[in-house]
Amino acid sequence: MHETSIVNSIIATLEQEFEAEKLQKMKAIYLKVGILSNIEPRLLHNAYDVYHLRNGRFQNVALKIESTQLKIQCEICNHITHVENYRFLCENCQRPSKNVIEGEEMLIHKIEFDD
Amino acid sequence: MSVDKSTKDARGTVQCENTNLNLLKANDFVADIIKKEMAKTGTLLINITSSAGSGKTTLMQKTAEKLKDKITMAVMVGDLETERDAERIRETGIHALQIVTGGICHLEAQMVHQVLDQFDLENIDLLFIENVGNLVCPASFDLGEDYRVTLMATTEGDDKPKKYPKMFLTSDMMVVSKADLLPYVPFSVEAVIKDAREVNHEIEVLQVSSTNGEGIDEWCDWLLKKIEQKKG
Repeated sequence: MHETSIVNSIIATLEQEFEAEKLQKMKAIYLKVGILSNIEPRLLHNAYDVYHLRNGRFQNVALKIESTQLKIQCEICNHITHVENYRFLCENCQRPSKNVIEGEEMLIHKIEFDD
Repeated sequence: MSVDKSTKDARGTVQCENTNLNLLKANDFVADIIKKEMAKTGTLLINITSSAGSGKTTLMQKTAEKLKDKITMAVMVGDLETERDAERIRETGIHALQIVTGGICHLEAQMVHQVLDQFDLENIDLLFIENVGNLVCPASFDLGEDYRVTLMATTEGDDKPKKYPKMFLTSDMMVVSKADLLPYVPFSVEAVIKDAREVNHEIEVLQVSSTNGEGIDEWCDWLLKKIEQKKG
């Protein structure tokens, strides 16, 4: 159900952002989703396919999903740490940090339109 | 919008637009509206999340019993089906509204906003949103709350913060519930706190039992302090 909500949200967001005429020329939707976003790309693809069964308007629009890994940047020493095993700890100075710079994304990153 | 030639592909048939739009933009927009309405009335909004069966509704009942003479509180409670939880909370004499999600595994800001006008917010100090019992999807949906509190029952096992990191990363407090069962279950409070703080070093922790009353005073004091700050 979660993935269905997200597909609906993507379509609603694009309808808000772009004119209907422009959306007719849409060719591909690029998403960037972090490992922390609780979005499973495979399930999102399934939900997107199901969306087309109900509404054929975007059935030729490809969905491309890029997953990102988890990174934090220490507020004290600025060091960037690749978080493993969900230990939110700067590997340089060992201080805890919640400053996630990658891995939380749920972005409609890029849209491709037919010229 | 103008076409940037540099973003065209080699055959020149495609035009790209970098959008970087948040997937949940629609939700977050409504969450902001809720936030503003709560600021106007000075109502403290708390989003309660947890797995199913960890004692959210029982904690709501205990909280209502303790605080109903001191403050005005109300609850909206989300479930896939039935009005059972709202009925249980109403038995304590406070206003409770059931949101039946009809299969959706989380509450969205739009669902909360739709029912807000059924609450007399001007006269409500504390409004709880008891989310659908699930540690996954509710983590992604901002409901405009001031604080997110996640219950973690001793019967669930102490390994949940690392299994569901997003929920614990986005929570302000972890309430270890059913503490009266600690002697009977293989659950280490120390281990759960260690894992939760590795995910979120700022998370506050309280240990409560709605059955024997342990920690309920501390929980209510925390709420009263936050209500005062919100009114401030």
